[in-house]
Amino acid sequence: MNPSAASSPNLAVVTEGLGRRFGERWAVRDLCLELRRGEVFGLLGPNGAGKTTTIRLLAALIGPSEGSARVDGLDLVRESDAVRSRVGVLTEAPGLYEKLSAVRNLDFFGRLQGLPTAVRAERIQRLLRLFELWDRRHEPTGTFSKGMKQKLAIARALLHEPQVLFLDEPTAALDPEASAVVRDAIATLRGQGRTIVLCTHVLPEAERLCDRIGFLRTTLLRVDTPARLRAENADGVVRVRLAARAEPDLLAVLRATPGVAAVDAAADGLVAELRDAQSDTPALVRALVAAGASILEVRREAATLEDVYFEVMGAPADGEAVA
Amino acid sequence: MRLAWITAVLERELVELLRSRLLLLSILGPPLVIVIGPVILGKLVAGRPLPAGLVAALLAGRPEWASLSPGDLAAAYSFQQFLFFFLMLPAFIPLSIATFSIIGEKQSRTLEAVLATPIRTSELLAGKAIAAAGPGIAGGLIAYLGFASLVRALYGPELFAIVSAPDWLASTFLLGPAIALLSVVLAVLVSARANDPRTAQQIGAVIIVPLVAAVIAQASGRLLVDATGYGLAALVVLLLALAGVRAGSWLFAREAILTRWR
Repeated sequence: MNPSAASSPNLAVVTEGLGRRFGERWAVRDLCLELRRGEVFGLLGPNGAGKTTTIRLLAALIGPSEGSARVDGLDLVRESDAVRSRVGVLTEAPGLYEKLSAVRNLDFFGRLQGLPTAVRAERIQRLLRLFELWDRRHEPTGTFSKGMKQKLAIARALLHEPQVLFLDEPTAALDPEASAVVRDAIATLRGQGRTIVLCTHVLPEAERLCDRIGFLRTTLLRVDTPARLRAENADGVVRVRLAARAEPDLLAVLRATPGVAAVDAAADGLVAELRDAQSDTPALVRALVAAGASILEVRREAATLEDVYFEVMGAPADGEAVA
Repeated sequence: MRLAWITAVLERELVELLRSRLLLLSILGPPLVIVIGPVILGKLVAGRPLPAGLVAALLAGRPEWASLSPGDLAAAYSFQQFLFFFLMLPAFIPLSIATFSIIGEKQSRTLEAVLATPIRTSELLAGKAIAAAGPGIAGGLIAYLGFASLVRALYGPELFAIVSAPDWLASTFLLGPAIALLSVVLAVLVSARANDPRTAQQIGAVIIVPLVAAVIAQASGRLLVDATGYGLAALVVLLLALAGVRAGSWLFAREAILTRWR
């Protein structure tokens, strides 16, 4: 591990060649990652790609088969107990004691985090109010809706005020309202400077919340900001908005223009597919001007994160299911 | 091991136990039957002398019973049948609680959240074991004390002396707790693989088989174990339990729970 990276106070998570094998099968391999403090990092990949194993490794729930990592400055293997007190984990299932009330659930987990009674009481009240569960604090959690359970599970992950949070599919199976509440909570946490690793299959959610996104399939295939990922994967589609409808003559001229693969009329102008959007767009504009078209706007269509996902992931491997 | 973490697990387990009415009923029902059953049976058989062959076999094993009247001998014989039933309480109660607790956590997927905290698996296991074994041991002792008090009140000092003899005391205070510990260990071993508490209990009920065999042998007058016998049996059971603890702690490791338990 690069010694300066490992000890940098600005980095919350540093991994070097981290891997975990189950029998002969590698679930995660050669994971090299540096997460800054306050960063929201999205981990995308199909089922079975190693996302949950990665979270379990970084939360010191299971040990690595190879490589090393530091979380909040602590060695993952040698200081695993301390790591668990510095990270919060939202597991795939809320995992609540359904016969116990919200308060009793949080109090139990607060005790397991070693929090004193007064601190537990104050934080439980604050978190239950934040997630709008205070009014039902004494009811068994078995009576809660999925959204309420998920909010309570997030409150549990925050109870000991961890610096690093691992959220495994926080909005899975939630209705749009509950999802919005959870997303708002994540945005608030990001504002508080916490580092968040977010596993999700909801690509627009990842795009909206994450500073960077990593595509995982056993190993990290690509890491970048959502904007750069989309820009780099943009294809050659250019949308042109015109003052008047695109006539067939204009379309014929454009089809004959070098670099233009296809042109179609659209309601407000036309859509052209270029062989290389970067170099062929000026030629398209020149052809439009020469043909007397009144151009209002020329816009290169960016790739969606879904386009990028399929581009990076390619075909599903054996044992995987695409999100 | 840290006491605060063990206490936290223990308290939560007990609160959950108190809120599981069905489990609570299945735990409280058998002790009531075992306390009242022999007292009623003793009254029913007191007027009917035992067959001569059985009396001879009994007195060969328990010469001190020779001074009892035929009616009291019949009552003493019926009480003796229930001694092993008192051992079934520390076997059955911890098995029920531990399997419900561990498999319940598997089903509700709470263990991963627990294991994501700084708790050590030895502390988690200790909390669960005490929460399961404690009621079993207490149930056995309270049932025995209730039974002994009823015998004292309804049958007098001679028969009370029989149910408070060293063999009863060794059975209740030594073998009972050892069986409770073995029962918890079995519950952990079985629960790691089973996904249904009732299946786990049926498999774990193998612990009761030797007790049933002992009941049958005793009913025939062929088995009359003395205090030393119960003490030795307690030692053997304890050694078995400790051997099981080694396997149990391996199965109850953080990694094993998260990656091998299905």
